[in-house]
Amino acid sequence: MLLDLLKEKYVRLGVKASDWREATRLSLAPLLESGAVTQEYVDDVITGAEQHGPYFVVTPRVALPHARPECGALEDALGVTVLDEPVEFGSADNDPVRYLFPLSATSASGHLDALASLVELLSDEDFFAVLDEASSPKEVVDAVRNAERSN
Amino acid sequence: MSSAKYRALVCCRAGMGSSAMLKIKCDQVINEEGYSIATEAGNLDAIQDFDGDLVITMSDLAEELLADAKIAHVAGIRNIVDKKEIKEQLEAFLEAVEA
Repeated sequence: MLLDLLKEKYVRLGVKASDWREATRLSLAPLLESGAVTQEYVDDVITGAEQHGPYFVVTPRVALPHARPECGALEDALGVTVLDEPVEFGSADNDPVRYLFPLSATSASGHLDALASLVELLSDEDFFAVLDEASSPKEVVDAVRNAERSN
Repeated sequence: MSSAKYRALVCCRAGMGSSAMLKIKCDQVINEEGYSIATEAGNLDAIQDFDGDLVITMSDLAEELLADAKIAHVAGIRNIVDKKEIKEQLEAFLEAVEA
């Protein structure tokens, strides 16, 4: 279940970021503050994108910042960050990015059911409409709960 | 064990997250279309030990991998939730190997 990973404290709405690095760091900040990931994990996500390009920009307008479990994933966690203004990640196909789903998984094999739910959510335009309108983290978590119920 | 004719490695840099999600979407397409392709997920390191037929990855990584002569077929996906795009790429692979 996505709800096992997504907590209200990991949700940030109306975030202002001037570039992709800041957006990525800000999206991971609540996971870092809660101890779900280490600073090394955050740094690895940034370094990885610098070296390999924006590998975690997976669908139009959506980034999924994550690194390998051994890079500092301490707890399984999923966040949601909605930017005030979209930023360019350098993705030819999916820029600009407005929605970030920072992810921490402690093993490569765990939470496949949660990721399956996330894939379906990312295909769901109604979900993004909810994100655009949401004024509190609770509304976002409720929307995910409703989506998982109906799938 | 799968009896599929071809083996595909679905990979991303981290080996979880986007590759796991891309694998889920690829498997949906493969099941719906009845392609004889079995998928596994891994990170970039897994490519070194991979002796299957096709590597499926994000389009920006695909360009890097195409430079590696060891890999015969690479499918680069731009939008991991776009089943139409995945279907086109898998069909292109099947046409190439069965030509």
